[in-house]
Amino acid sequence: MRKSRAAYPLTWRVMDMLEAIAARLWPARFARALPYLMLAPAVLLVGILVLGLVQIGDSSLRVLDTSTFLMSEDYTLANYQRALTESFFATVAGRSLLGSVIVTVITLILAFPYAYLMVRTPSSALRNVLLVALFLPFFIGQVVRAYGWLIILGNQGMVNEALGLVGVPPMRLLYNYPAVLFGLIQYMLPFAVLMLAPALTAIPAELEAAASSLGANWLGTFRHVVLPLARPGLVGAGLVVVTLSLTDFAIPAILGGGSQDFIANAIYDQFFRTSDQGMGATLSLLLVAVGSLLVGLVFMLFGAGTLAMTGERK
Amino acid sequence: MTGSRSKSIVIWTFVITALVMLSAPTIVVLGASFTAGNIITFPPEGLSLKWYGAIAQASDLRQAFVRSLIVASICTIVSIPVGTLAGIALAKYRVRFARSIQIYLLLPFTIPLIGSGIGMMLVFGNMGVLGSLWPVGIACCVINLPFMIWAVTASASNLSPDLELAAANCGAPPLQRFLYITLPAVLPGVITGSLLMFILALNEFLVSLLLVDARSVTLPVQIYNSIRSIITPDLAAISVVFIASAAIAIAVLDRLVGLDIFLKSK
Amino acid sequence: MSHDKFLTTEIRRRTLLASMAAVGASATLGTGKAFAQEPEKPAEIIVRAWGGSWVDSLKAGVSDSFTKATGIAVRHDLTEDNEIQPKVWAAVAQGRVPPIHINWDTTTNATKSALRGVTEDLSDLPNLKNTTELAKPVGLDGYPIVNTYGYVYVLAYRPSAFPNGAPKSWKDLLDPKLKGRIALYNDGIGFHFPAQVAGGGKLEDIPANMQPAWDFIAKIKEQQPLLGEDPDFTTWFQKGEIDAACTISTNAREAKKNGIELAWVVPEEGAKFDTDGLWIPKGLPENELYWAKQYINHALTKEAQQVWLDGLGLPGVVPGLTPPADLVGDPSYPTTEEDFKHLIRISSKVQVENESQWFAKFKEIMQG
Repeated sequence: MRKSRAAYPLTWRVMDMLEAIAARLWPARFARALPYLMLAPAVLLVGILVLGLVQIGDSSLRVLDTSTFLMSEDYTLANYQRALTESFFATVAGRSLLGSVIVTVITLILAFPYAYLMVRTPSSALRNVLLVALFLPFFIGQVVRAYGWLIILGNQGMVNEALGLVGVPPMRLLYNYPAVLFGLIQYMLPFAVLMLAPALTAIPAELEAAASSLGANWLGTFRHVVLPLARPGLVGAGLVVVTLSLTDFAIPAILGGGSQDFIANAIYDQFFRTSDQGMGATLSLLLVAVGSLLVGLVFMLFGAGTLAMTGERK
Repeated sequence: MTGSRSKSIVIWTFVITALVMLSAPTIVVLGASFTAGNIITFPPEGLSLKWYGAIAQASDLRQAFVRSLIVASICTIVSIPVGTLAGIALAKYRVRFARSIQIYLLLPFTIPLIGSGIGMMLVFGNMGVLGSLWPVGIACCVINLPFMIWAVTASASNLSPDLELAAANCGAPPLQRFLYITLPAVLPGVITGSLLMFILALNEFLVSLLLVDARSVTLPVQIYNSIRSIITPDLAAISVVFIASAAIAIAVLDRLVGLDIFLKSK
Repeated sequence: MSHDKFLTTEIRRRTLLASMAAVGASATLGTGKAFAQEPEKPAEIIVRAWGGSWVDSLKAGVSDSFTKATGIAVRHDLTEDNEIQPKVWAAVAQGRVPPIHINWDTTTNATKSALRGVTEDLSDLPNLKNTTELAKPVGLDGYPIVNTYGYVYVLAYRPSAFPNGAPKSWKDLLDPKLKGRIALYNDGIGFHFPAQVAGGGKLEDIPANMQPAWDFIAKIKEQQPLLGEDPDFTTWFQKGEIDAACTISTNAREAKKNGIELAWVVPEEGAKFDTDGLWIPKGLPENELYWAKQYINHALTKEAQQVWLDGLGLPGVVPGLTPPADLVGDPSYPTTEEDFKHLIRISSKVQVENESQWFAKFKEIMQG
């Protein structure tokens, strides 16, 4: 005689019920649509930004009338023309692009060993220390953090005082382009490590052991085994760093001493200082275009990295 | 760890450089919070807890802190399902126009924060919802969403399609395969992603600035705006309290789920 | 649409005029309770203010006494003036209730808002009749804003860096030993006009020909100045990064009060004099608008001005105020005709119409 279904554990029954509901709601023939359905919430959420971009796009086609501080009724491309011809914007754009590339390269070089040590060390205490050190800087805020740097790197800061002891006169270490890049690298480091770590966990330690038992020295192992396998992680981390540093506002403003503006600072000035929403909107859209092109380029050259594992695996 | 002495030296050189960069200003500021003087200096001038006393008195700071916690919670709670589903979809399935979708989902990073802030101020303003905290939470979620998605896709490398096929072979229906195989495989990513989302939302400034008003102001906005003429050690003291509460939260999380196992190589 | 708005303003003004004189008086007397036609009191009003010693002074001088007189709490929104502007403009454009009741703003920024038409008219405030002409915004109809005090962009310096005595001219900033040791505001505000004089130009040529100013600023650029905002200047003076800065006297005085070695002068070319004011954004409920106006009216009483401006160390807009002891005879606290001769005042209208170009030009020189 068959046992009654009630004899099954409760969880089984719940699961069966859920399966039935899922099957009813989503018959197998719809399976092809499943990934799109899974993507839908994210696409919708980012849609809020797109709605904002539409509004911004509208103002980018209007110019500011400084006798009424209203945007013009008629559409014009004047803002775009200004943005593309005035040398100031080219200077700032060049500085941001170059800066974001340099920052990305150095950040990855620093982040890689950090992430490697974090996932490979047998000591869970060390792992936790490394993990916590990543999150610490977020909590003191940009302004206070910059103040901390001033205490360390200022003209009368600790480093200059130490140098003074060996007879080196005080030098300006802050408020220049290298200081901005330094600040950005520090800011981006945690993101890069956190993006790299999961990719590195996926590389079996036995693989390295095998390589070295076959006579490869550790540098060779690194170059021929670890780095290629970590490439998706590096691409993913690199994309995060390059886009975030390209659009950063706070670090150039705080550590640049006012003369090292990035594009986002020029955008801030238009929106907040000169009240020219049209120009601010234009620069924002151009920056989005440049950033997206850059991302597309990286995708073409290196693949999508950890951002989509499918392509790499098959 | 396999490898030679030179490998350790090289790795530790980089790690120590990174550690100094990450922690030096924090340590200085932490130390400065115990100063008896009126300015942030290191080493501090005399020891006192007076700046902690000062912030303990400030009820507006406490309220702002609570608001920041609410915003960060909303952000994290929304981002977990949204980011996990999207991450799995991108990692597990072949999606048409995948590259375009990727570029689209990267908009939060390619749009400068000021642009996002102004845009969302207009969108939420049109909807008439400004002044509540949830739009701020949603906004923080949107601008950091790629982190959540990518944390999940990155850990999806642990997701072997063979495992799922095997389960299917044994007769496991789709939902069970999802809950018992796919989800646990990406859980490390979900955890690191959520942690990052929470911390970033807790400290978000620029976009929040445009979305809050005096009655719904969050802690980072409150702190930044209060600086006008002089930077006083109470800001350092707030940071210390902030870090201490975060450390407790991370420790609790570690106890409950063990952060360690998620980052250790298998 | 505009027709409607006009009508309601008219009606509102008439009813207000009747009640306000009385309430204004009662508020200054501190009786609080007044007449039956007094609109319902909101629990609180929100005043945008600058943080630090700025908001402390406003609170001590105006907000606390307002709360005492009316029972309405005052909440201070410390968002920067530049950053609140798009928020208020968006609120008015979208027909929302604005996020603040009163904006304490620079006259230049406030004038932009007035030109855009987002300000309420304030010409019926009873206490305006007691004010000096400084209270009236130049080049605007009526009182879309009320100026509440003036201030000077002084040359602040570290005395120990000037062993031969105080700097006399803005040109002293070109001294090679000050290379990398001077600071200006990010957008050059406060510096454009004295630079015009220092560069050999005439003030009458503003805005038509400002080449002398740009030439002088280009020379200053060779000195590698730091550019920042008020808190930056204080920090930089404090940490020994700079020896001189063009800044608002209030901040220099505040830094000095905090033990930083500082002094300031108005150099021979003159220094920019400007005003700050209060205004009310459109879109508030009728009763809140009424009480917001009462707040501004209260800010124009001699008692409120005295305490508020003692805190700021700035000259007010009602006659008979006593200067703070440390500022008697100070060039940053102009009181006499003679004092004003050394100061440069350009109408807000000229400023707002050209400011974005000036900022752009300044940025172009500094970012090059």
